[in-house]
Amino acid sequence: MNALTLQNISYEYEGTNRVIFKDVSLRFGAGKVTTIVGKSGAGKSTLLSLLSGLDVATSGRISFGGKNLSEINRNRYRAQKVGIIFQSLNLLTNATAIDNIILSMNISGITGIDKKTRAFELLARVGISREKAHRKILKLSGGEQQRISIARALAHDPMLIIADEPTGSLDKDTEANVLEIFKSLAHDDGKCVIIVTHSENVTAIADEVWGLEDGVLCLLPVQTDTGGGRDVCNPPRAFESWKE
Amino acid sequence: MYLITNAIKNLVRNKGRNILLAAVTLAIIIGAVVTLTIHNAASRVIDEIRLDIGSRVTIEQDIMGMFRSGMGVEELAENTIHIPIHDWVRFADSAYLSNTIFNAEVFNLESESLLPVQATPPGTNILQDVPFRILGSSELDETLSDIIVHGRMFEGINEVVIDDELAHINNIELGDTIELNALLSTWGELAGRELADKPFELTVVGIYSADLYERPLFRFSDIFTSFETIASAGWESNLGLNMTAEYFLRNPDYLELFENEVRAKGLPDTYIVSINQPAYDRVAGPMLSMKSAVMTFSIVILILGSLVLALISFLVIRERKYEVGVLRAMGMERGKVAFGILTEAVVITTLCLVVGLGLGNAVAQPIANGLLGNRVAAAEARSEELQQDRVAAVVVFGGQMQSEHSIGYRPESEITVAISANVIIQIIIITLALAALSGIIGVVIITQYEPLKILRERS
Repeated sequence: MNALTLQNISYEYEGTNRVIFKDVSLRFGAGKVTTIVGKSGAGKSTLLSLLSGLDVATSGRISFGGKNLSEINRNRYRAQKVGIIFQSLNLLTNATAIDNIILSMNISGITGIDKKTRAFELLARVGISREKAHRKILKLSGGEQQRISIARALAHDPMLIIADEPTGSLDKDTEANVLEIFKSLAHDDGKCVIIVTHSENVTAIADEVWGLEDGVLCLLPVQTDTGGGRDVCNPPRAFESWKE
Repeated sequence: MYLITNAIKNLVRNKGRNILLAAVTLAIIIGAVVTLTIHNAASRVIDEIRLDIGSRVTIEQDIMGMFRSGMGVEELAENTIHIPIHDWVRFADSAYLSNTIFNAEVFNLESESLLPVQATPPGTNILQDVPFRILGSSELDETLSDIIVHGRMFEGINEVVIDDELAHINNIELGDTIELNALLSTWGELAGRELADKPFELTVVGIYSADLYERPLFRFSDIFTSFETIASAGWESNLGLNMTAEYFLRNPDYLELFENEVRAKGLPDTYIVSINQPAYDRVAGPMLSMKSAVMTFSIVILILGSLVLALISFLVIRERKYEVGVLRAMGMERGKVAFGILTEAVVITTLCLVVGLGLGNAVAQPIANGLLGNRVAAAEARSEELQQDRVAAVVVFGGQMQSEHSIGYRPESEITVAISANVIIQIIIITLALAALSGIIGVVIITQYEPLKILRERS
């Protein structure tokens, strides 16, 4: 089932003629982990901005659940349907970890649950203790902040999880834990997980890996749990060239 | 609800900037409370003074004006027009007045049946007859009624109260009739007119006992009665009669209307209709000066304070741009972000309002006392200088100075400053304006930014 569909998307930076994408069409399936790889400056984060409704394509159509993003309330879309894990985290640094997560639930308008309990559960799931949950973000390490950012993205149980380098600051054990969470969200809960990454560990859990270069998206071969290759774009580009 | 909770949490999370905002807001509110409280209290006192002095109208010959127009003493006497007693009474028949007090004095009286009291005037050893006077007032004189030792106060026409010494030497008892004669023919001869003497037959209904030295206004031979007793005697002219009238306006603003009315009734141009302006200026002067000063101070505080608050709010919201970007990226509507910022501003200003009202009210009284005290002292010093000038003027003009009317009046030196409902409403309006100012600046700025733009700038 398709969660998010891109049809002939083009994008160029306002005021410049720099084209980032040209006529890109793509489908992100529910129940899958999709990763996007590419060199720095290739436009991966811009693509995530379009998918999360923070930016608008120059032309083309992005649909979520069959509805054009440009025709729906994109604030509500971000608040309820999408969980975003920013590369720069974008947490409220003066607030505590728990407050960041509860605020996300409040903005989404979620009701009928004990928000505090759910927030503690999510934090525990990413390895943040109750004691640390009450600390201000500024008093936590980079890795802890990244985990809180992940917990916040899951707080309102979104259908779509968009992550920009979500494991950049994590140690190997925590990274493995977080990747397990992403896998579980996709495979067990049927969420659509889209991750921009340079990490092989992340692509290793992906159901699909797309490469972005010169405004073109190419499906790359991946090693999944079950093994086996996939179609590649023509001419195929080596994944190795995008690693940093 | 969460927006309000989050706004309150934000106030605690960002203590530094909020304390700065609160300090500026509090300073403005305290300044406004103090100045408005003093201003309102001063206005109230000034209104009372205005009602007391400003509504009390006198009609008198414009002697100063006549001097200024070049008249000498002889010309002044020739041009003096006496207003008959019935005209004074006629002037009182006005819709603009709430009350009128007439006082009349009949002097140059003789009596064949009464002996005058003899007394030694201060500074001499010679025993002299104290001349008779009949004093009539339309107002109940409580000073007199307090010292009546026999009988009662006069009520009907021709009823009088006399001194106990006069009663004693003439064996007068309550209910006795005394006869006096106003020697108008003497005055008539001086004025070249034929006037008949005016006889008075008066019934003694009360006897008072006055200590001459304690109550110098009472003289041993004074006979007190009602104004009606004198007026009913019938007077063709004012010769042998001193007459004063005080007209009390319903509203001090009616002065001009009342003047037009009495002019239409025949008041000569040489008479002026006025409130006791010198007295009003003297009593209300320091208060008016203080009122004006606090109003100026209030305007300066509000303008400067608002500018500082606007600047701080502008800087604060720029500092909060990232926070706004995060909230917007999380899907919070622009209006909700604005509501949160406005809520913070309202909470800060409301807290400042409560503290400011208390502190402002506490310091307003001492500040008012200080401000007024300085002005009263300055006014007293000026008054002493004027007094010296007046002595010189009295020599020149025979004492008929307008400034003389302020003698006996002292600058109002007391003010009770207390916060009133009116001030509270004014302060609430100012507080709301301050909250709006600091909140709306934020709202205007945040609506100009898209979340992605803010977050990109941050990155």
